Amino acid sequence: MMSQILPILIATLIAGTPLVYAALGELVTERSGVLNMGVEGMMVVGAVIAFITMQTTGELWLAVMTAMLAAMLLALMFSVLVVSFRAHQVAVGLAMTIFGTSFGSFIGKSYVGMAIVMEPSTLSALASKIPLLGIVLGQLHPLVWLSWALFAGVWFFLYRTRYGLIVRAVGEAPSSAHAIGYPVVLIRYLCTLFGGAMAGVAGAYISIVYTSLWTEGLIAGRGWIAVALVVFATWRPGRCFLGAYLFGGATIAQLFAQSAGIGLPSELMSALPYLVTILVLVLISRNATLMRLNVPASLGQPFVAGG
Amino acid sequence: MPHKNTTREELKMKFQSRRDFLKTAAAGSLIAATGVRPLLAADEVLKVGVIHMGPISDTGWEYFQANAWRALESAFPGKVKVTALENIAQIQDCERLFRQLSAQGHKLIFGTTFSQYASLKKLAPTMPNSHFECCAGIAAGTNLGVFEAREYEGAYVTGIAAGRMTKSNVLGWVGAFPVPQVIYSINAFLLGARSVNPDVVVKVVWANAWVDPAKEKDAVAALVAQGADVLSGSPNTPVQGLAAEEKGVWSIGNTGDFSRYVKKKQLVSYELDWSSAHINAAKAVMEGNWKPESTWLGLGEGGYVKMTTSSPELPETVAKEMKVAEDAIVAGKLKVFAGEIKDQSGKVKVASGQELSENDIKGMTWLIDGVQGTLPQN
Amino acid sequence: MRFERRPKPSTLMIFLSPVISLVLTASVAMVIFASAGLEPLGALVTFLTAPLADLYGVGELLIKAAPLVLIGIGLAIGFRAGIWNVGAEGQLTAGVIFGGYVALHFGPDGGLSVLPAMVISGAIGGMIWAAIPAFLRVRFNASEILTSLMLNYVAGLWLTWLIFGPWRDPAGFNFPQSEPLAPAALFPILVEGTRMNASIIFALIAVVMGWIFMKRSFIGFQLKVTGLSAGAARYAGFSVTRAVWIGMLVSGAVAGMAGVGEIAGPLAQIFPNASPGYGYAAIIVAYLGRLNPLGILLSGLLMALLYLAGDLAQMSLGMPSSITGLLQSTLLFFLLTADVLVHHRIRFKTSGRKGVTA
Repeated sequence: MMSQILPILIATLIAGTPLVYAALGELVTERSGVLNMGVEGMMVVGAVIAFITMQTTGELWLAVMTAMLAAMLLALMFSVLVVSFRAHQVAVGLAMTIFGTSFGSFIGKSYVGMAIVMEPSTLSALASKIPLLGIVLGQLHPLVWLSWALFAGVWFFLYRTRYGLIVRAVGEAPSSAHAIGYPVVLIRYLCTLFGGAMAGVAGAYISIVYTSLWTEGLIAGRGWIAVALVVFATWRPGRCFLGAYLFGGATIAQLFAQSAGIGLPSELMSALPYLVTILVLVLISRNATLMRLNVPASLGQPFVAGG
Repeated sequence: MPHKNTTREELKMKFQSRRDFLKTAAAGSLIAATGVRPLLAADEVLKVGVIHMGPISDTGWEYFQANAWRALESAFPGKVKVTALENIAQIQDCERLFRQLSAQGHKLIFGTTFSQYASLKKLAPTMPNSHFECCAGIAAGTNLGVFEAREYEGAYVTGIAAGRMTKSNVLGWVGAFPVPQVIYSINAFLLGARSVNPDVVVKVVWANAWVDPAKEKDAVAALVAQGADVLSGSPNTPVQGLAAEEKGVWSIGNTGDFSRYVKKKQLVSYELDWSSAHINAAKAVMEGNWKPESTWLGLGEGGYVKMTTSSPELPETVAKEMKVAEDAIVAGKLKVFAGEIKDQSGKVKVASGQELSENDIKGMTWLIDGVQGTLPQN
Repeated sequence: MRFERRPKPSTLMIFLSPVISLVLTASVAMVIFASAGLEPLGALVTFLTAPLADLYGVGELLIKAAPLVLIGIGLAIGFRAGIWNVGAEGQLTAGVIFGGYVALHFGPDGGLSVLPAMVISGAIGGMIWAAIPAFLRVRFNASEILTSLMLNYVAGLWLTWLIFGPWRDPAGFNFPQSEPLAPAALFPILVEGTRMNASIIFALIAVVMGWIFMKRSFIGFQLKVTGLSAGAARYAGFSVTRAVWIGMLVSGAVAGMAGVGEIAGPLAQIFPNASPGYGYAAIIVAYLGRLNPLGILLSGLLMALLYLAGDLAQMSLGMPSSITGLLQSTLLFFLLTADVLVHHRIRFKTSGRKGVTA
């Protein structure tokens, strides 16, 4: 059993990383007051673009960049409709997911089933030489380490910088923020684009690092889990970070349990992450006070200057 | 994809040909009733229809199906024309398109997976203008032939390599779904491994999907964590082999050679080769003597299972052992499921000196003693 | 040129924007055909008419459109009230499970009561599956979008477990499928030579009842107000709780019925992938149909046509199989952008003269 802990830890970190990226990105978006339900679609687009770029050029970081750009394009379209034209955020977000998923699957059709042979990362190889931590670090891709930096960065940004304060103000009371002179619309655009970019990275990670393959249904609802995670985390980066690993763990737990001989039906174990998501959503949402204290007050509402 | 400069008129004609067809269909059914089936005029091009439920890529199940009809086209250049549809993911749509293929003059139609079998069983008797073949179908029926591969023969031979090369005596298997083909392959894998190394066990993890790269990769991690150092499975993509390579363990290309991707750590592999099924069926239709048959072939000439690459690191002696076993299977001297075989509960399923019947193999739903993993209860 | 918000939404644009997006999508299709070396207009006409070339094709169109329309109407009732049921896919699967249970256990004994029992239990199954997110929303304020979506995956896994376990076909050599449904459990074919069955009638009934409900019933009015402004609804005494229950249960029921329609119809057997994604496609249908029963009827037929045409285009035009998905997503994209004009008008700025509005 002891020898199992390290592999389970590594697998959990690996499985949780796309959720870290997507959920932290969505957290920033929602903190500015925009509810982006299109995360799943943006992840699909990011995943497929990253895969195609990687297939054609073999450049990992280029692939991540193109994924970010592609997802940001979708996020831009979303922002235009929802922030500037004040369309219904949930409806448009849903539509963006459907659009992103079917468009992504269309682009990816000729790449289905292809695999990329990944060269082991030189950085990871270097890291494995670090005493003690090297055992864990060396088995993780640099994108995983970057996700930790992302968490630190988002936390610092939101709670220790002036700009982060402005973002939070825009999310809580956009009219007041506007009255003070903050560019509410611009801030919401930027936060939504950031969220989209992170969704793109999450998708890229899944298709290049996690599986190195492209197929239909690769994302399998992780974008939705990320949105749920933000609620579960009551919009706090720290809880978001931990929650991502909780869900990552739930996803892989069933496979380790199977191989260890635990005899529950595998379908039930596969349903675990989704059931856990529902459970935590309920636990958090039911606490009305908790929600009221933590939900960005203007979440989902279109901003009307002077209204 | 064929791109041609097609005018509106030409396109319309394609759909009008159906009406002409119905006229000959009446004649066809009369003739069918008497058992003689000259469906093709002497110089007519045979149109063959194939429906893939998934996308055709460069590895995996659909790839082998596509290779078969590509082989068919090259075997009869100019005399055979194949219309292959891919990504028809829903069975309801398959049924409609089989009908439409037949209506458009495709005299030989292939189903590529057992999911289409039920529809074809319904459809085939009602469409005498075409002959139907289904890969992985259950049993031949009116106007419907089926063909399936004895994958277990390939799995047995790969088991020999695994049994010799494992150091931990723990082998791993990433299972897609607990269907008979997968189960008898797992069992054969163990039997092959135990024929050279009586102490091995096989651990099974079910991914519950034919293709789910993330799950497959995690399953590999879980098996390796349990000590498995040679992995097999029913992969449709290189993901399992790549994941195993990342962890430094051997993988086996069970129903697929992924060495193009898994450059260093694919031990052995075998592939499925359906071309003889396609070619023989087409020949029979062209000669007018097609009959619905049930064919179940494995290793050997004209068979559906072909052993392919071996890693350069595989010792000569082991490669020889594999070849000896393969030849013995082809000659009928080595029966994979010959007694004594016990199931996981210790009950003797095949007594010493006996062998399992064909139907029992086809419907196998129990795992052999030595396989560690559970099956859903009925 | 700039955009100016309209004082109230333009009714004309509400109807015009789907038309605009259709025209634009058709243009995209023609560009695709042209780049493949086909004569664009002719190819487009063939693309759209080939599936309807004979009676069988028309029957297929209706059979494909029926579940889309049925579920779309149910979803629209909820969407209008601001209840976002994204779980129609899972509710359809629940209908397959509940209806399938009746079919497998009572079908072989035959009798006229089997089919109605299947339909009713399918509806009940869908309602139960929708009741879960409804309850969680009403009691715990948990977002029904996320809960209903998660339940889609759970329902699919439940069906898989059933097919691989207790419902496995005893005569099927353990292939993952149920036994074929008994004749008493199959919808009778309405027109010889096609696959048309009662689900078409259900869809039409849903259109009529949906129209009556939405336009002519007080509850429908209440739901509409709740969707437009929760505050106004509360002030008027309309209960949001009731809106949630009605919105979810109605869409769950019809989704479940659509599921039964699939297994008692074209499938005639239960497979792990019984659900062909109608639950998600119906969202597009409802949106394209402007959440209006007649609009949904038309958009359901159109979406069904796109599915059929895409498959056939592989055969007749040599198009890649993904053309359906591309055209559907393009349609959605144009629809989203054209809808901007519902609430905004374009003002062309010309100095000194009155602006020209569009």
